[in-house]
Amino acid sequence: MTATAPASDTSVPLMAAGGERGGVRTMVRYALRTHRWAFAAVAFIGFVGPYSTGASYAKLAATAAARASFGRQTTALGPQLAYLVPLPLRPDTVAGYLWWKGLTWMPLVVAVWGLAAATGLIRNEEERGLMETWLATPFSRVRLLLSRVGAFAIAVLGAVVITAIGTAAGIAAGKATVTFPALVEQGVSVLGMALACLGIGLAAAQLASTRRSALALGGVVMLALYALDALARVNPGLDGWAAISPFHLADLTTAVVPGGHFAGAATLALYGIAVVLIALSALGFQRRDLLASLLRRRTGEARVVRSASTVPLLRIPVLRSLWQQRIGLAGWVIGSVAGAAFIVSIARGTGKLLKSAGGFKNYVAAAGTSSAATAVVTSVWLSIAAVIVAAYAITQTSHWASEDAGGRLEMEIAQPIARWRVVAERAVALVVAAVVMAAVGSVVTAAIAPSQGVHLDTGGLVTATALLALLALTFGAVGALVISRLPRVAVPVLAVVAVAGFYIPLFAPLFTWPSWVLNLSLFHLYGAPLTTGVYWTGLWVMLAIVVLGFGGATAAMRVREVGS
Amino acid sequence: MADAIRTEGLTKDYGESRGLFDLGLEVGAGEIFGYLGPNGAGKTTTIRLLMDMIRPSGGRAEVFGVDCQSHPVEVKRLVGYLPGEMPQWGGLRGRDVVAYVGGLRGHIDPGRVSGLAERLDLDLGRRYREYSSGNKRKLGLLLAFMHPSRLLVLDEPTSGLDPLMQQEFYRLVEEARGEGTTVFLSSHVLSEVERVCERVGILRRGRLVQVARLDELHHLRYHRLEADFVGEVPVDAVRALPGVEQVTVEDHHLSCAVRGGFGPLLQVLGKGQVLNLVTHEPTLEEVFLAYFRDEQEKAPVAPGAAS
Repeated sequence: MTATAPASDTSVPLMAAGGERGGVRTMVRYALRTHRWAFAAVAFIGFVGPYSTGASYAKLAATAAARASFGRQTTALGPQLAYLVPLPLRPDTVAGYLWWKGLTWMPLVVAVWGLAAATGLIRNEEERGLMETWLATPFSRVRLLLSRVGAFAIAVLGAVVITAIGTAAGIAAGKATVTFPALVEQGVSVLGMALACLGIGLAAAQLASTRRSALALGGVVMLALYALDALARVNPGLDGWAAISPFHLADLTTAVVPGGHFAGAATLALYGIAVVLIALSALGFQRRDLLASLLRRRTGEARVVRSASTVPLLRIPVLRSLWQQRIGLAGWVIGSVAGAAFIVSIARGTGKLLKSAGGFKNYVAAAGTSSAATAVVTSVWLSIAAVIVAAYAITQTSHWASEDAGGRLEMEIAQPIARWRVVAERAVALVVAAVVMAAVGSVVTAAIAPSQGVHLDTGGLVTATALLALLALTFGAVGALVISRLPRVAVPVLAVVAVAGFYIPLFAPLFTWPSWVLNLSLFHLYGAPLTTGVYWTGLWVMLAIVVLGFGGATAAMRVREVGS
Repeated sequence: MADAIRTEGLTKDYGESRGLFDLGLEVGAGEIFGYLGPNGAGKTTTIRLLMDMIRPSGGRAEVFGVDCQSHPVEVKRLVGYLPGEMPQWGGLRGRDVVAYVGGLRGHIDPGRVSGLAERLDLDLGRRYREYSSGNKRKLGLLLAFMHPSRLLVLDEPTSGLDPLMQQEFYRLVEEARGEGTTVFLSSHVLSEVERVCERVGILRRGRLVQVARLDELHHLRYHRLEADFVGEVPVDAVRALPGVEQVTVEDHHLSCAVRGGFGPLLQVLGKGQVLNLVTHEPTLEEVFLAYFRDEQEKAPVAPGAAS
């Protein structure tokens, strides 16, 4: 071959299928494959959320009078939750209520997906060495990045279509209709939101030097934009500033609500943000070194280190695992504290509304207390805390699976330690971390609650905290058992367990499922220990899962082949 | 005194003739034993069986008389191990990895760690993901050598090391032997094994085909020689030389295999007008092909007879 040979002469498998177009198709197919689990999760949430909301609305507000009353109560409740979701619109209609409860979460869901995809696809591929392989083919960086964007857009579009179907089905279940154009307009807005957040993630991925730091940087930016939107809802003076937040721009489209509208300019702005950020990211990606930040500075001569770390925690079982994830764990604890502080701080106001609104009186009664504020803290906060510790357990399972696949397990058991100790240490580290997260959240709750007129039983709070640790351990036990046989599917399996566990208690009363079905939900097994006391059946079932899960994982670890 | 390594009928059958079959091997205490074979021959499978990472389909393995499958923890107390592929330590710094693995083992000598880091020219202050592949290998060597062990099991230890570091590694191995440590190292490079080992075992397609002292392996050794001539190639004179085989001539280009010294061949080549002369060491697979061409009738060594 001569130096002047055209690029097309250098045949490589990636390009051979059909020239550059074939290469793009291959890249898009590869990227689509990486989105399959996220697509399944978002599509599931997108369908089930709106549908269950519509179906439950039909049961809760069956008559015109009931709908009017329900609408008034929801409108009154709306400002209390304005930090989380937009104010309700026409909640006296199934479509209005469905939009408020089932669809206003979608921008947040696709934002997380966009951020994870942007940092995961580009940075993760760099860290795994895949990017070098892709770029060794006659495939430009810009084209590669655009193929990733295209695959993400296709995956989100699929999820949006399924969400639209769920929305139409939910509204139909509530004996109402929605027009096709309204569904399209709502979907276009969600797609724009997803692409804008992908752009934010891609930009962060160019500025950071690792996947984790890109995720952290993008997460902070996203959180700030979300907070800006939330603050603007309760402080109209910030409305102008909120225009830079994609969350605010997405909230403006309310096409499926009767009398709602499609915010064309806001949606156009979402796509504009996406185009600008993706273009800047492509430029940055072209200019920077692989595995480096665009802003990388030359550093001076660092002192060469020839000795082992003197951090004593690295030598102590359990603590050595926790020390290595100290920054991530701190993030989880801060999230737990922020959640507790927020829920408790709105408890009194929300409680008053619940008490004054006839339709919500049963909700307070079901919480087993005469104080509506206490009901908010005990029910809402503990439900959120349960989701937080479950999510933490899932991330730990993912961590264990990657340790096994990445060769760390081989290196660990090459040392003179019994294999069962690996499983035991993982379980104990999970419990310790969950206890820390739950306990700090509970301490903050107990500290702030009196200022809201909420008086909590200390013993009950301790029990609820301990059960949160047991819940985390239960998720961990399922994860440990699955990764001992099928490590690649452990996280998807746990995600299904978590999502199913979240929705079963919502669906069970709607479809009058038998009580044993409820016990399939780990969140139901956790119960509501601060209000109705310990759910003993749940406690025993969780303990049995822990024993069987970690027992099975230990037995499997003794015989499993490592690194083969 | 028990052998450092002893296997009897050790088998790991992955199906489709892949794996390790009926391995009978004895490695004496204090010996440096090279385990040679081309890619996929079963070297890493043997090492993982010794380290109890995978379970045998049949047979048994012992390290200093301790059964590898029933008492793996006792075995690992005796062994320093370098895996074929380094684990992903991510954002941990080298010094953290050393402290972590040292913590799993119980105790490490800080002086020994510093000495090894100095000799291997390894900066333990950098994050693992920032290490080059050579530095990752150095860290693996440091982890294997940082504690006193009776046996070092090293899977392709010099892979990714530059020539200077390879020399340093050979010195470390010599010193380990001086301290009475047995070294079992796998490689697919014949010259490397020749450099440090006393005995070698040769593995091919999952079967041990030969175990011998190094001086007994000289019949395996050959070089390929390629020469371009301006005029006629003295092909008949070349073919007549003892130790020169596989002679081919194409136009003015000569290619042949040479066993033993080059002296007689160079004298013959000097009679012609040589334009270009290149020699190179054959790959292990080429050595084996040549060996098996010569020894077609010879069957693989019987189990238990390969010591």
